[in-house]
Amino acid sequence: MEPIIVTQDLKKVYRLGKVDVPALRGVDLVVQEGEFLAVVGPSGCGKSTLLHILGGLTSPTSGHVLVDGNDFMTMNDGDRTRFRRHKIGFVFQRFNLLPTLTARQNIAIAQHIQGNGFNPHRFDAVVEMLGIQGKLNHKPFAMSGGEQQRVAIARAVICEPKILLADEPTGNLDTENSQIVLNMLRALNRSFRQTILMITHNPEAAAVADRIVRMRDGRVVSD
Amino acid sequence: MINKMVLQNLLHRPVRTAVSVLAVAIEVGMVMLVVGLSTGMLHESAKRVEGVGADILVQPPGASMFFGLTQSPMPIKIADRLAEIPRVAAVAPVLFQFNSSGGGLGLIYGIDLNSFNRVSGGFVYHAGGGFEQPYDIVVDDWYAKANHVKVGQTLRFLNHDFRVSGIVEHGKGARLFIPLDTAQDLTVAQGRASIFFVKLTNAGYTDDAKAAISKLLPGYQVLPMREYMSMMTSNNLPALQVFITVLISVAVTIGFLVIFLSMYTTITERTREIGILKSLGASKAYIIEAILREATLLATMGIVAGLLGTLAAKRLIIASFPTQAVDLTPDWAIYSAILALAGTLIGAFYPALRAARLDPVDALGYE
Repeated sequence: MEPIIVTQDLKKVYRLGKVDVPALRGVDLVVQEGEFLAVVGPSGCGKSTLLHILGGLTSPTSGHVLVDGNDFMTMNDGDRTRFRRHKIGFVFQRFNLLPTLTARQNIAIAQHIQGNGFNPHRFDAVVEMLGIQGKLNHKPFAMSGGEQQRVAIARAVICEPKILLADEPTGNLDTENSQIVLNMLRALNRSFRQTILMITHNPEAAAVADRIVRMRDGRVVSD
Repeated sequence: MINKMVLQNLLHRPVRTAVSVLAVAIEVGMVMLVVGLSTGMLHESAKRVEGVGADILVQPPGASMFFGLTQSPMPIKIADRLAEIPRVAAVAPVLFQFNSSGGGLGLIYGIDLNSFNRVSGGFVYHAGGGFEQPYDIVVDDWYAKANHVKVGQTLRFLNHDFRVSGIVEHGKGARLFIPLDTAQDLTVAQGRASIFFVKLTNAGYTDDAKAAISKLLPGYQVLPMREYMSMMTSNNLPALQVFITVLISVAVTIGFLVIFLSMYTTITERTREIGILKSLGASKAYIIEAILREATLLATMGIVAGLLGTLAAKRLIIASFPTQAVDLTPDWAIYSAILALAGTLIGAFYPALRAARLDPVDALGYE
């Protein structure tokens, strides 16, 4: 079976004023469909940049990136947006729920943006699995961090993305809620063969994954 | 879903929403009132002239359609020659006097009560009666109400004291009438008149009578009443048209700038939220649409508030200044709504474009 993510000599250079700052210096990575991968490494090692490139939020400078058969080097901003809409789900450290919308609306807006309309069966299944039935009419400020992150996960998986990209999903949570969120990611991976790529500083969180990739100075140093 | 998000955004920032709605409402109100006051004044003035009941107006050569601007009155004897023209039923000579006392600017008609009554069908008196002495004055009911005037009271006009002899129903030329002889004495224009109001036996003879008068008085302004009425629009007054256009432009610019600032600020404030939408795969068009919908909703609320406010302002103006006409028309309600909506959308477009162009990674990292 073809891997769902393949990167070869992936480089990303940011330009800050007149200075080039390399964030990725040649990343080679292969991820199989249904795999739960943790990427660990110190701050500034390029983990987030890798996640942003794989999610189509930013373009690579050079190298090759193939995600679910899509060659990012040939895609423009609009192509990457469409790709992200249909193939990627994001979970962020800061939850990133829309503050003016309820939990239900935060989840539903992902379906609306995808354009396939509201799917009540999928919605109910996801909401039940994440145990947020009682919070659907609450706005983010009225929910705990753990509840907000579960809503964020629900929003990320409601459209059945090919890949779930999680950026420090337990970074803002206490131990108990961290464990709940990790268990849910694990359950999603096992129950639905959801491919997950998770960035984390936390070794306990990384241990939940099938495979751990370590990065340093913009490169993968162990796999 | 997008509408819910737009609505929630507006509810989430009530002060910004209220200020934006108020700006659009002021824009709409300003446009409506500027046009309403200027056209109202013109139409009301024209209707009063029509209310005299004449079919033809005769003025000296080079006279303006704005009464009182003519400096050289005509010999009053012309009235006798006009009366001899077939189909002419009555001729009323009137000498105009500008009145600027009492803070207002208007015309006083110097009239010969008998001939004026023959043309107009006579005044309807609410109180008192016609002139009894040279320095008597007749006022209309609107003037009396606005200035709390009673019969027998003394009013000072043209540097003279006039006794109010009667209060009449409004709508017959001027709001103030004095005897023709007195008006002539005050301006040293004995035996002269500014205009002749000509009443025909039947309005159907207007064209024939006009031709006959023009033949009798070559070069004089002979204007059928229907032509005069059609000329009394702001389109025929370049200066008024410029004034209206300038004020409308100012109103639209204010609305545009407030909406621009409001949307620009909100985009900056919501940078992170825009980043979230982008991370979910929202296209540039989706984000532009969401922001323009928000602006459209603001404009709609502002237009409704503006129109209601204008109706309230009209009541207030009429209650405070009974002689002031405010002509609000559905046409201008539609134009002002279109102007407000267009200004709002133009004002919101750049912020929307800026939001759509935000880099998703930068936007997500925005504090």
